[in-house]
Amino acid sequence: MLLQLNNIFKWVNAGGQRTFLLKDINLTVKEGEFISIMGPSGSGKTTLLNVIGMLDGFNEGEYHFMDESVHQLKEKHRANLYKEYIGFVFQAYHLIDELTVYENIETPLLYKKFKSAERKALVADMLDRFNIVGKKDLFPEQLSGGQQQLVGIARALISKPKLILADEPTGNLNSKQGEEIMELFKQLNEEGVTILQVTHSEKNAAYGSRIIELLDGRKVSL
Amino acid sequence: MIKNYLKIAFRNLWKNKTVSAIHIIGLVTGITCCLLMILYIQHELSYDKFQENGDRIVRAIMAYGRTKDDVKKGNFTGTKVLTAMKSNFPEVEDGVRMYQEPTLVKKGEHAFNETRFLYADSAFFKMFSFPLLKGSATEALNAPYKIVLSFTTAKKYFGDKDPIGQTLRIGAGEKDYLITGIAADCPVNSQIQFDFLASFASRQAARTEPIYWSANYTTYLLLRSPGSIHSLQPKIAPFMAGEMAAEGERDIYVNYELEPYNQIHLHSPYDSFEPNTNIKYLYISGCVALLILVIACFTYVNISTARSLERAREVGMRKVTGAYRNQIFWQFIGESALLTAFAIVLSIGITLLLLPAFNDLIGKSLSPSGILHPGILSGMLVILVSISFLAGSYPAFVLSGFKSVKVLKGAFHRSAAGTWFKGSLIVFQFVISTFLIIATMVMQSQLHYIRNKKLGYDRDHVLVLPMDNKIKDKLDFIKKEWKQNPNILAVSMAGELPTHIRGGYSLWGNTTPYEQSIMVGGNVIDEEYLRANGLQLIAGQDLTEQDVRDASHGNDKDNYFHFILNESALATLGWGPDEAIEKKMFLGGRTGEIKGIVRDFHFASLHTPIQPLVLFPENWGAHLIVKTSGRHLPETLAFLEKKWQQTASHRPFEYRFMDDAFSKLYTGEMRIGKILSIFSAITILLACLGLFGLSAYTIRQRTKEIGIRKVLGAPVTGIVHLLSIYFIKLVGVAFLIASPLAWWAMYNWLLDFAYRIEIQWWMFAVTALGAVIITLVTVSFQSVKAALLNPVKTLKTD
Repeated sequence: MLLQLNNIFKWVNAGGQRTFLLKDINLTVKEGEFISIMGPSGSGKTTLLNVIGMLDGFNEGEYHFMDESVHQLKEKHRANLYKEYIGFVFQAYHLIDELTVYENIETPLLYKKFKSAERKALVADMLDRFNIVGKKDLFPEQLSGGQQQLVGIARALISKPKLILADEPTGNLNSKQGEEIMELFKQLNEEGVTILQVTHSEKNAAYGSRIIELLDGRKVSL
Repeated sequence: MIKNYLKIAFRNLWKNKTVSAIHIIGLVTGITCCLLMILYIQHELSYDKFQENGDRIVRAIMAYGRTKDDVKKGNFTGTKVLTAMKSNFPEVEDGVRMYQEPTLVKKGEHAFNETRFLYADSAFFKMFSFPLLKGSATEALNAPYKIVLSFTTAKKYFGDKDPIGQTLRIGAGEKDYLITGIAADCPVNSQIQFDFLASFASRQAARTEPIYWSANYTTYLLLRSPGSIHSLQPKIAPFMAGEMAAEGERDIYVNYELEPYNQIHLHSPYDSFEPNTNIKYLYISGCVALLILVIACFTYVNISTARSLERAREVGMRKVTGAYRNQIFWQFIGESALLTAFAIVLSIGITLLLLPAFNDLIGKSLSPSGILHPGILSGMLVILVSISFLAGSYPAFVLSGFKSVKVLKGAFHRSAAGTWFKGSLIVFQFVISTFLIIATMVMQSQLHYIRNKKLGYDRDHVLVLPMDNKIKDKLDFIKKEWKQNPNILAVSMAGELPTHIRGGYSLWGNTTPYEQSIMVGGNVIDEEYLRANGLQLIAGQDLTEQDVRDASHGNDKDNYFHFILNESALATLGWGPDEAIEKKMFLGGRTGEIKGIVRDFHFASLHTPIQPLVLFPENWGAHLIVKTSGRHLPETLAFLEKKWQQTASHRPFEYRFMDDAFSKLYTGEMRIGKILSIFSAITILLACLGLFGLSAYTIRQRTKEIGIRKVLGAPVTGIVHLLSIYFIKLVGVAFLIASPLAWWAMYNWLLDFAYRIEIQWWMFAVTALGAVIITLVTVSFQSVKAALLNPVKTLKTD
């Protein structure tokens, strides 16, 4: 078991009313799974992903990640945990505009204090693997959306995470580019990386081994 | 890691070149101005610090008058005060009498008119720390007709030859002086400046029986200990009362006030051999420098903060990829430190480049090495650290603390507190700018007023030439010869110029007792003085050549004087103009009668009201005043030079304009006026830069709003209006705060002048209008651009 959510609630108070973003979510993810989270806009998909990614907190419930009780951890511990084991892929890529492809991929290693030689080797591997060696000195704005997302995934993978959280990774891409990215995810999954993706597309969801459907913050059983 | 930070810092700067340039230029300007001012202030404060005995030397200020409560004061004394003090007070170890006089120096056939020519007693080199390169400190000036040259002067006259033992021919009397020493050049920050230092014993006055009167000399005393001034001062008044009684002076009060040598340059109202600087103007300069620095820093912090908002996404992303908060903190602080350090280095470079021009502007010679002063260097460090932290603090503290999810979404935009904070920075900057604009305007108006005020005399096209006994002997001939030129209207010999008459006398009528005499300013003139200076006679007659001859018998018994009084003297005596004419009067020891009344004119600076004045002939003078028509001036000068060489060949032909003598009265005011004008222009520029940078960002943050408004049908003008009104409001608030402050400050400054302008309402109106226009122009650069953008583009980005 990689992670487990027990009775997770998250809400905001607006205008004296409590609006639930997540309501009684129970979820167990095993290592090596490829899960797609689906649901209409506003159903809480991204919120759920952020909670799992520890970027966002929750109000009630228990969250266990690799034998750690996340809900009891201090902010700093939690941050260490996600930095160690989780990689993020965003719909809008979120690359740093002022850094080149190479430097963008390198950034997480810098924060993990890898030695220069090690960093070089790791980034070179990654560039090679994604076939973007020729683009390493380009800036994000000089790349197509698909290529940017490739860089985004490469950056997420560079620190060898156990879990990849992808928030509509193909949302900004055309269908061909999207397909390539999904194939890549599939391949990564086969190599042992656990993947949780949020998607709107039935077709992309089908790449996963399991689908979770959300509606108004609630898990809908299929 | 650091390389990565550097890269991103540099690329960020490069991406927004305009804003980056504004960003750095602002800070560089601020620091440069501040550095220049500090150098100036440092220079002024360093005056005389090199004097090892500085804390034991005092200058005697003579206070004299009818009673203790009605005294005049001056920095000149008679020759006796030194000897009297030395022999009567154990506190006084030694002393020096000094005298400065522009003097003719001849070596062989070559003659030079030397202005930095001083006489001093033999203790000079013992008292003062002017090192002698050659010669003996005790013997160099211990007898008449000995002279010490400065190093540069020795080079000028003798080149590489050894001047010791040679002679120079000094003065119109052409006495040979033996060169006994070479002194190192005087430091520029010394109140005593000389090229020549002749033994005081050479002067007639030193040899004749010492007297307290004829106050022409500066007396410095060397005390046994710095504290003796306090025990010595109270003893002088009773001692002098005894001395006066012994000399049989009726009811004359004389006292000497001791001024510590180190305080003279900045605190004394009486100039030394080099003009003093009013400490008040140093305070003003310091404040202005500090304000500029503060403005520059605020602008810098303001723009930095605004710029960092753009980097929010980067911060979020860095956190997601594993950055700790303190790593982001140091990234931004480091980036800001790097930029600040760059700005500081650039400022130092520019300061050094600008220093010569700045020296010209303020008429000083500041040395670039002053920048190495530990105070300045540590100041730089303080600036570096504080600006780095202030400018980097917003991204470092606030952004780095945000939740990455929020920052990535860009949900942190515009907190109310942040807007309020930046708004108040802008207000503060404009308060300072408006204050300085108003101050500059008032100062310039006052200086303009001084320059153009009808002073009662005419200083246009008036030349001033030196005068000595040789020339005086030929005066009648000179006058006749020169006036053959139709452009030379009058030639007058006089003791002092009408710009600044310093002499003081007592005047009383022959029917009133001496006790009712009045203190008057006095000046020796001749029959052409009124004409040469355009003075206006309102009653009686001008002097004639006969009147001058009547007063030129050489002893007071045979002399009969004709006096010309000014209106103030008349008012003080309580007489009407016609009533006064031909009244018999005494002026000191001179007997005579009133011959004419002249309209009041300003014979001192406008800081003081017009005092009573007597003009009288006495057959001597220090200046030749030549009134020209102003037409064909070059030809007239050539004519004068030719005539000069024929009749006064012993002296080089050197002239100056009376207007320059007049300007000298206001050196301090003009310097501060210039500095203020330039600096207020710079603060306005800086404030504009700040406004420009800030508006750019405020508007960028509102692009979405602008897009939506445009889709909803808002016209371009409406949007520009919307964006400008916020800034106009800020500037308005600033104006309301600054106006009363400026009024109060300038009102007090003007109180220093006996004759001054009124602060006018239009000065404020012009400032307000100017501020609004500047704001509009600055903001509209950005707002018009934003308003013209296609909303499709702006709305797509989110």
